[in-house]
Order: sequence, then C-alpha cells, then structure tokens
Amino acid sequence: MTTTNIYLPFKTSIANVKEVAKDVKLFSISVPADFTYQAGQFVMVSVIGAGEVPISITSTPGVSKDLELCVRTVGHVSSAINALAANDSIWLRGPYGRPFPINGQDALFICGGIGIVPLRPLINQMLHNRAATGSRKKVTVMYGSRNPAEVLFMDEAARWQEQGAHIVMTVDTCDIESWKGCTGLVTDHFAKANIDYRNSTAYICGPHVMIKATMRDLSMMGMPDDHIITTLEAHMKCGVGKCGHCYCGGKLICEEGPVFSLEEIKKYNIKPGVDDLV
Amino acid sequence: MNKISTTCPWCGCGCGLYLHVENNSITGVSPSRNHPVNHGTLCVKGWNCHEFVQHPDRLTTPLIKEGAALRRATWEEALAKTAAKLSEIKNTYGPDAIGILGSAKCTNEDNFVLMKFARAVIGTNNIDHCARLCHSSTVGGLAAAFGSGAMTNSIDEIRDARVIFVIGSNTTEQHPMIGMHMLEARDRGAMIIVADPRRTQIAQFSHLHMRHRSGTDVALLNAIMNVIITEGLVDVSFIRQRTENFDDFEKGVLAYSPEVAERITSVPAEDLRKAARLYASEKRSMLFYSMGITQHITGVDNVRSCANLVMLTAHIGQPMTGLNPLRGQNNVQGACDVGALPDVFSGYQKVADPASRKKFEMAWSRPLSAVPGLTLTEMVDAIHEGKIRALYIMGENPVISDPDSAHVRAAFAKLDFLAVQDIFPTDTAEYAHVILPATTFAEKDGTYTNTERRVQKIRKAVQPVGDSRPDYDIICSIARLMGYPMDYRAAHEIMEEIAILTPSYGGILHHRLDAGFGLQWPCFGMDHPGTPYLHRKKFTRGMGAFIPVEFIPPAEPTDDEYPFLLTTGRSYFHYHTGTMCRRTITLEREEPECTVEINPADAKRLEVRRGDPVRVKTRRGSIEVKARVTTVVPEGIIFIPFHFREAAVNLLTINAVDPNAKIPEFKVCAASLEAVRKKPGTRPAPRLSYHEGMKQGLDLYIPPEERPSEE
Amino acid sequence: MNTAYILNKNHLSFWLRTLKSTHELIAPTRDVSGDIVLTELQRMHETALDGPALMPSPKEFLLPQMEQLFCYSEEGIEEALNKRPRVLFGIRPCDLSAIRILDTFYLGKTKDAYYEARRSRTVLIAIACNRPDPTCFCLGLGTGPFLKSGFDLQLTDLGDRFLVETGSETGASLVTAYPHIFTEPKPADGDDLYETRLASQSQFEKRVNLEQVRKHIQAGAVSDAFWESVAVRCFECGGCVYNCPVCTCFNVIDRAASSEAGKRVRLWDTCMFKGFTRTAGGVIPAEAKINRTKRWFHHKLIHWPEQFGAFGCVGCGRCAISCPGTIDMATVALRIKGESKAEEK
Repeated sequence: MTTTNIYLPFKTSIANVKEVAKDVKLFSISVPADFTYQAGQFVMVSVIGAGEVPISITSTPGVSKDLELCVRTVGHVSSAINALAANDSIWLRGPYGRPFPINGQDALFICGGIGIVPLRPLINQMLHNRAATGSRKKVTVMYGSRNPAEVLFMDEAARWQEQGAHIVMTVDTCDIESWKGCTGLVTDHFAKANIDYRNSTAYICGPHVMIKATMRDLSMMGMPDDHIITTLEAHMKCGVGKCGHCYCGGKLICEEGPVFSLEEIKKYNIKPGVDDLV
Repeated sequence: MNKISTTCPWCGCGCGLYLHVENNSITGVSPSRNHPVNHGTLCVKGWNCHEFVQHPDRLTTPLIKEGAALRRATWEEALAKTAAKLSEIKNTYGPDAIGILGSAKCTNEDNFVLMKFARAVIGTNNIDHCARLCHSSTVGGLAAAFGSGAMTNSIDEIRDARVIFVIGSNTTEQHPMIGMHMLEARDRGAMIIVADPRRTQIAQFSHLHMRHRSGTDVALLNAIMNVIITEGLVDVSFIRQRTENFDDFEKGVLAYSPEVAERITSVPAEDLRKAARLYASEKRSMLFYSMGITQHITGVDNVRSCANLVMLTAHIGQPMTGLNPLRGQNNVQGACDVGALPDVFSGYQKVADPASRKKFEMAWSRPLSAVPGLTLTEMVDAIHEGKIRALYIMGENPVISDPDSAHVRAAFAKLDFLAVQDIFPTDTAEYAHVILPATTFAEKDGTYTNTERRVQKIRKAVQPVGDSRPDYDIICSIARLMGYPMDYRAAHEIMEEIAILTPSYGGILHHRLDAGFGLQWPCFGMDHPGTPYLHRKKFTRGMGAFIPVEFIPPAEPTDDEYPFLLTTGRSYFHYHTGTMCRRTITLEREEPECTVEINPADAKRLEVRRGDPVRVKTRRGSIEVKARVTTVVPEGIIFIPFHFREAAVNLLTINAVDPNAKIPEFKVCAASLEAVRKKPGTRPAPRLSYHEGMKQGLDLYIPPEERPSEE
Repeated sequence: MNTAYILNKNHLSFWLRTLKSTHELIAPTRDVSGDIVLTELQRMHETALDGPALMPSPKEFLLPQMEQLFCYSEEGIEEALNKRPRVLFGIRPCDLSAIRILDTFYLGKTKDAYYEARRSRTVLIAIACNRPDPTCFCLGLGTGPFLKSGFDLQLTDLGDRFLVETGSETGASLVTAYPHIFTEPKPADGDDLYETRLASQSQFEKRVNLEQVRKHIQAGAVSDAFWESVAVRCFECGGCVYNCPVCTCFNVIDRAASSEAGKRVRLWDTCMFKGFTRTAGGVIPAEAKINRTKRWFHHKLIHWPEQFGAFGCVGCGRCAISCPGTIDMATVALRIKGESKAEEK
C-alpha cells in the first residue's frame, strides 16, 4: 500500500522573472504538461530552507504555457522567493483550492492592490472566451491601488480594454500628473461602471477591509449574495486541509475555499480578519 | 522513543517535564503529572523548550578572533589561548584585573566550579552573575531582616492560602505555574490583592488592584503598615517573641498615613486601608514580590519594607504564609546559593569571615582573598577605569541585559581579553576574543534550584551538538592548564563537594534527587527531608529585625522633556535576552517584534494608533518600536519588554543603582515618546467631499445617500 | 466477531517480551519519580497499567510533537517515513476512540503519508478502564471505558488475570501464536467481566452531555460574555491542544543546517496562539483570546460532528489536568449547562 505523499513538492525552474512594481515580481515557471489548474486556485511554493507559502496562480488556464505567479514581499518566505532569479529552481505542490464559479452573467471584477493577481486569469479567460464565442457579455474591471507606482499589469489592462472590457482604475493617492485614472476607493466608483447589479456576478479580491466594504455595498445595491464571489487570504501551512491554520467558521479555506460567495460567508460565519476590522 | 525526566530550563518555577528522544533527536516535551510545582501543566515556553536544543544556530566549535573575524579552532587551541591570556593578565595586573560572570541559566555544578575557578585558580572575588540585576536586593535585604534571602514558603502551599498579596510581579505571565496555584487558591475562596501599575492578568483576577506609581513601593507598604498598627491589627506577641527593633520602626511608619501615601503613590487611601485589613485579618496570608520591588535604587528598602510587613502580622514561619520573592531564572537561586557572588562562598558563607575562608582554603589548598569582589555593574565601570582587563563570561548576555547598553558595549570593546562560553552566538560574544561552545540543559547532567529552594536534577537526554562541552568541563580544562587540578568525572562529584562545604546543601546528593522531585534546602544531612518553609520557631539570624525605611523617589523624575515614566519587564512568550526563545518558532511567532505599551489617552493625545512606529527616547539613547495601545498601562507610564536586540530597551534604561545591592533601576526612568511619521506622500491624501469635488470638476466621490438607488 | 481469551497476569511479562522481539513496544512505564509515562518499555515488570491518563496522549506516536517531513540537499529531497513496527500497549479506550477519529481525519479523502506510515504499522492494545480518573467523562460519549471494536486487542483486568478480546486479525495473530498462555474463558470469567464493567461505570464522577451543549451553542444560548469569562482565565500555554488526543493542527518549518542541506519538519501547533492565524501581511483573524477560546470549543462541539459525525472530544479529561486556568471541556460544558438551566428558571 503506497500513498502519494501530499507534502512532497516537485522541483522545477524559473523561466523568467519580471519586477512589476516595487517589491512585486512576476515569475514564469516551467511546469509539466499534465499540470492543469483553474482560475482561482493556488499552489504551495517552497524555497527550500526558507519555507513554504500559498501563492495564487495568475496565469490563464489552457492559454499560458508557463505557470505564472505574482509575489509581493511581505514575510520571510516571500522575500526568499523574490530573491530568486531566472533559471533558479523552485519547488511546487498543487494546484489546490476551489476555483471561481463561472456562470453566463456579466462579470464585474473588483480588485484592490495585489488582489488583482488571482482575478487576472479569470479576466483573461473570460475575454478569451468572449472573443472566441462572440458573446456580448459585459466584463468590467475595477482596480484600486494605493498609488500609480503600485498599479500592476497596466499594459495588460490596456489590452483588456481593447478586447472590450470596461476598465475603471483608481488610486488612493496620486503623486504624478500623468495619472489618467480616478482617485479614491474602488467602491466610490460604482456609478461609472454602470452595472446591472441584479444580473451580474462580482469577483472581488483585495485587502480584508476592502472585501468587506465591497461585499456590503454590492449586496446593498441588490446583487444576490450568491453572485458576490471573493477569494480569501489565510495563513496556511499545508494547503490540503490538514494543518488547521486556515480553519474559519467550520470551513478550511484551503480546501473549501479560497473562493467563497457572500452567501456562504454569511451562512458559515466566515470572518477572516474580523478582529482587525473592529 | 525514550522519555527523560528533567527540569524546565526557562523560569524559576522549575517545572518537571519529560524530553522525548528518538534517534538522538528531541521530538517532544510533556509535563510531569505528579510534580509539586506543575501537576501536569506547562506554560507555552515549557511546552516548546525542546526546539532550541538542536537548532542550527548552535555554537558547535570553539572560535578565536583573528583580526575582525572569528575562525574555527580546536579545543586545545582555544583552551590554551584562554588559559594563557588569563595567566598573563593575572601575572601582569594581579588577579583582581579579571572579572568572572556566572550564569543563572547554568547548573549549580557549573556555577560552583566557576566560583572555585575564580577564587582558587584566578584568586579573585570578582565573580557575579545576573542575579545582581534581579534579586540582589532580596539577597541583601532579607539577609539583614531574616538571615536568609530566599522564598520562605513553597509553591504547593499557595492553593490553601486565604489571602495572596502580589506586589511588583506579573505572576501569571512570568511564573505561570505559580500563577496557576494563585488562581486555584482564588477559586477556593482566597482574596487576591495586587499592587502593580500595570493591569496584568493576575490584577484582572484580583479583588483589589492598587495601581501605584512605579518606584513608590516604600510609601505604599509603609501606609499599609501604618493602618495595621493604628487599627491594632499587629501580632503583638510575635513581635515581642521573635523580633527586635520594633519601636524604632514604628516611629518611622507612623508618618505615613494613607492620605500621605495617596499623594505619593496615587493609590486611594481607602484602598490602602482595605489592603491592610485584608492582609492582616487572615492568618494564612502569603506575600509575593518580584522585579517590581527589587529593580529600584531603593530595591533593598523595598525588600525590607516587605519583610517588616510580614513580621508585623506574624505571617512568616508557618505554612501558607511568608515572604516569597519569585526568582526569575531557572537557576538564579542556585547560582546565588553556590556562591557565584562577589562577597560569599556557597551557602552565603562570607569571604570576609575568617572561619569560612579557612574552611574553603583547606578544601581547595589555596590562599583565598578576603576582600569582597566587584559586582556586575561595578565591573563595567571598572573596565572603563582600566582596573579590569579581562572578563570570563559563562552563559550571560550583558550587552542586552544590563542597563545603559551603550556603556556596556564601550566597556567590552576596551577589554584586553574576553572569553564567552555560551550555546548561541550572542551580542556579547561579538566582543569576545575566544568563544567556547557549551551544552544546553538537554545535553548534560546537573541540578537547578528553583525559586522555592527545590534542588532538582536535569538529565542528559541527547548527545551534545557538535563539539560542545558541558560548562563545568570547560572550566575544569582551563583550570588544569593554569596549573590547578580540577578533575570531576561527572556532575554528581561536584555536588558532593558542594554538600561537604555548604551546610544548607549538606544532605543534597544526586542519588537522593533521583528518587522524587528534588529536595528543598536547607537540607543538613543525609536523613534530612528538606525544608518546605523557612524560619520555623526562629529566624535564621535569630531574631527578625525590623528596619525603618523612608521613602526615596526614583533616580530620574519625569519632566517636560521626558514626560513618560518608562518601565521595563518581560513578555510571557519571551525569556530574557531572547537567545533561546527567539529561536523557537512558536514563541517568536507570538511576539515577533518589540512593542511599547501606551495608554489610549496618551496615544490619542500624541496621535499614535495601534501598530504605529514610535520613537522612545531617554537621556541615554532612543529606540524605534511599534505602539501597543492598551489600558494595561495607566496614563503617563509606558512599558517595553527587554528581550529584543533590535530594539534593546536597555539602551534607554538608567545606570543608577541601589547603594547596597548595586541593582540598577530598570523599573523607572524618564522617557519621551513620539510618533514616527513615514515620509510624506505615502499617507492617504484627504478625500474630497462630493460637492468640493464637483466644484473642481472632478467626478471622484459619491456619498452613499447619492448613490444610484435600488431601482 | 471478537474472541475472548484469558491471560494469567504471571504470563504478561513473557508475552510482552515476545511482542518486543518484533515491535518497538510502547507501554505505560513507571518513572523513578513516580510518574507513569508512555515510553519504550525496557524491563517488562516496570509496566504500570493502573495509572491515570497518560500525558500527553498516545497521539504522539502517530503524530509526533516534532516530525521530519523530508530532508533536502543538493541532490534533491528525500522523504522521511517512519516505518518501524510498533505496539502501543496499555492505552485507554478513550485514546483508542481518539485514534479512530484521527484515522478519519488523516486517512480520509486526502491521505497523510506520514500518519499512514506509522498508523499502518502500529498495533493497538487497549486496557479497559477499571479506575477512571476524577476528570474522566467518556461514559456517555460512547468512547469508553470499554469498547466493542476498534482495537487490535482489548484487555480487561480481572484481578489475577486479564480477559483479552481480539478485534482484528493482527490482534488475533498475536494471541493465537501462544495457545499455552491464552486460554479459553470460563463462565465465571464472563461474570467477573460484567461485574468489573459495572464497578467501573459507577466510579465516574462527571457526566457531561456534549450533545446538549452543542444544541445550546447552536441555539445562540451561549453569550460572548460567557466566553469572555472563560477566555480571561486562559494562560495561552497551548496545553489543552498539545495534550488533546483529537487535536490535529501542526506548523511546518524549514530547518536549514547549511545553505544546501536541511530538513522540513512539522510540529504541533495550537489555535490558542494568536500567531496561529497571522497572515504574512500581519492580519490576525483571531487576535482576542475570546475568539481563540470560542474557536476551539466550537470546532470540537459543532464542526467536528458536522464533518466527521463525532465530537472532537472523547472525554479523556486531559485538558482538565493540563489547563492552568481550569477551562477544560468538562468544566466549560457543565458551566454552559448550568447557566442555561439558570436562565430557564
């Protein structure tokens, strides 16, 4: 009797690294062809000797050849990852987690800061499908950052716009004149997006405070709770429902999330970062 | 898998635990169920005491400084160099140019051998250890009052006490298992009185919490005694039978009415009366204190006041009573007991006393110095004055633990020779010429004496990491190279010598300790069962001495420039200078960075929010830490733990010392605090209101009431 | 179907020695200090089967407090599975019940290779509880003091002899190999067994109805003020979780021995620590003690039954022994029951 050891990562190498903002790097990582994943899933990334952390996949399933991960330096493992260069080896396990549900509705993406990372593959996937099928579904991307220097995937956003997405960019503070977007919080700009709240699905990712405020606002404006989808960040050590760190309201975020609808969040009383908000 | 019975290496509680060993690596820890201190419990540090033992950062080979760098060396080379340098300095400048620091973390055997090394091999009494910084005022103060400077009663008695008076001790965090006994006593109906400026966990359990201003303990205690005397709650017969000098003392105390004390301490007079009545009205009242009493320029006075209080009400010499200083480190009691102090041999036998000296001279076949040596704090000054040229440090980290760190660092940089014997590379080791790798508690045999005088064994569970060697073994090797034979084959042989030379340890031998959970000294002979509580029938010195004590304010009052009173201490998750706990993942994760506790009112006034970086400054230096806004501290007082090398609070503390005990005033100095503003531009810009925005032609902000309504 | 045998106590040492020849024999052993600890048995007569609950629980032999996952070097990584055959002798039925819960957790839909490596090579020999501790409350939870299944072997102390029940083929094979010492029970043995069980049940001091407590909590009848009064007594030692035979949480860290080589280890972790949930960004979902305390009780009383059909508690009473603040399962459950009764009045 042998069991596949779920804790053993496999070794692969970094094909390319690009600094996309201060302390934020985009890694392209070679993966075997049978490594398949869906938008919203994450992988456990190890820098052996430093440790292991969960990182959202940001490449588009079925489209990108390499696996793309976007990492911001926050703790000591993410610093170790961001110290790696092209051709360095890196260890992976996964993919893990429940992907984003996709329905036929208009899609509203609301991203805060690094929160664009897990949503990026879904945006790309939807625009890709839209082009392929000739669908006229609306895709709206609202993206808030702290300041223009921290905006990620600016070129890509321009491409999204060309592909027919409606883009609203905003920053908390603006210290350059050339900034063409808005300022203020994402939630301040719903009016611009001209959303049919009752018949759209929202995908939200960002800081806890922003997720909380956005979900509340969307719900208030009539969007059904099961169409308000978010992906949650939690401290994780295993990614496979064993270590217990991400347990919240009876759910393990790694296995039963990280994607949850507001309906589920209310039902199970999932409160990540709850202390921090009060 | 094997389980090795041993004693916890962290605090003075001395809990019994088992180390789980598989293939020479420690896989876990579990508490002893029947141990009289912990009864099957452990605190977070105890549960995680296994992790640092085989940590990759351990020192594994001797290191010798060459130029600015350290290089690996063999034991022969490192020992030869140490012996040669010490001999050279001894021959050139005399034995008193060498200072030796023992360690409250090391065993009784280690400290005894080091003490013997200092006195018999080097020929100096310049030996001290960090008890100077925690309870030297207790040792001095209680010796004068009772004749013995240790916790008088036992931990296991606490649960049956009726009144528990805790002054200057954060018991549940610093001695968690003693805190557990206090909580149990409370559940069984005991009243708890706490005197502490901070609202600690034990204060939350208390029936009466007096938040006196740091450094006003004498006034507080005098006022309590004033009430006891004026309300006739004293035990007259006890005072007559067992004590002396009451009349002098009484005159002094009568000046401290509760109203007078209220003005000094800011504790309401009525609370002082309540405390006095509560404490005096029960027969089974126990008084506990710790660093909040001792770490002041009036440390000895504070201790004397406590002693006066217990004698006044006869709360001593009986079970469930007593004056109970809680010793901080696992073996600080033992290190003092075996004579790692400048004025005494083991068992507090004075070096100045010819009879004691004669006994040790005969045992060790060397003439011994009669002049008490320098204390730890004095040694630092002596280095600056050029009187001390070499220092030998066993398992201590004075660069972080001593007050006014900059002064200490400057001193160590001036030394001709510094040898450091430790388990991890410490900040102090940065100044060392030779670093000698020692073993941890899990890699050697020996004994620790906990705060209730219980001598207990630690047992070797795994092989030493790398080439590390037990502390006593290293010292013996140096002694031999310096021409003095020291050949102990095992720790129990050293204990035999301690027993021969030390009356209070006379019946304490390793094989007796193996049979149960240790023995409490004094234990005079092989059939003596040990002593759960001291001063039964008479005080160790004969009569208990009342000593009048006057209130003296702290060395550095607050003023307009430094308006905060800065007090320092420990955090539950960390221990001392952090060399071990900060390498323990669970402990480090709980408290990864230094914070300063500040009252919400002060924080609001200074526009400091939780987590904001702030700069705390005193006349000695400044550090940057994050703010923890909490009502644990009262207005006007800020608190910083001292474990964090990157924000070493001892850069700020004052080097003012108690004139008798030479203990520094860690608990009070004047400080200023200000928010550190990040560079402009990164703070969110003020948002424009909708109307202002509209005026400026911007479509920025839609207030909720103007948002598109739901159809 | 269980088969029963009789083992004369005089023959226990002989049998243990045969077990030791093929397995690492772990048994309750009396230490010089008087404590009874679960450790590798060296001298057969030192085993002590009449002691109180062992600290920590036998969980440590399936999920050690610190366990190596793999070591790494320039060549790559090498998994470290413990494949040593082991006998856990003399564990209590409550602990056995706990191991069965651990089995569903670790060997459920995603299998834990490390747990499985140890578990599949571990023989479980339980000793039925004749003398429950004052802290025990397995009676009523169905997790003790006697079990009908789940063990390889279950021994019941009948004074001068043990009644040995087989519960698996592995267990049976350890008995049937020695027909000269394992004999057929007589009718009187059955009477004694019944009597022993009755006597044991009558010794329980605590009766705790966790189902009732679960209902109270789910009905929202337990206020935050109540949890606050519980949490204030928490010393944040983690003892409840470390000692709990059902708690499963762990941390994973890398221990670099040099820049090229080292190991990844996992070690017990507890949700009683605020750092347990701290994200890299510094957000702490359960920072206040009350949230952590509540989380532990809710997990055991509400979410375990939802996910695994059993409470995350087997009534072993270890949390009562290891908690410095006496906020153990039984005390809290009885308080919840008491308070809800008081409200009804």
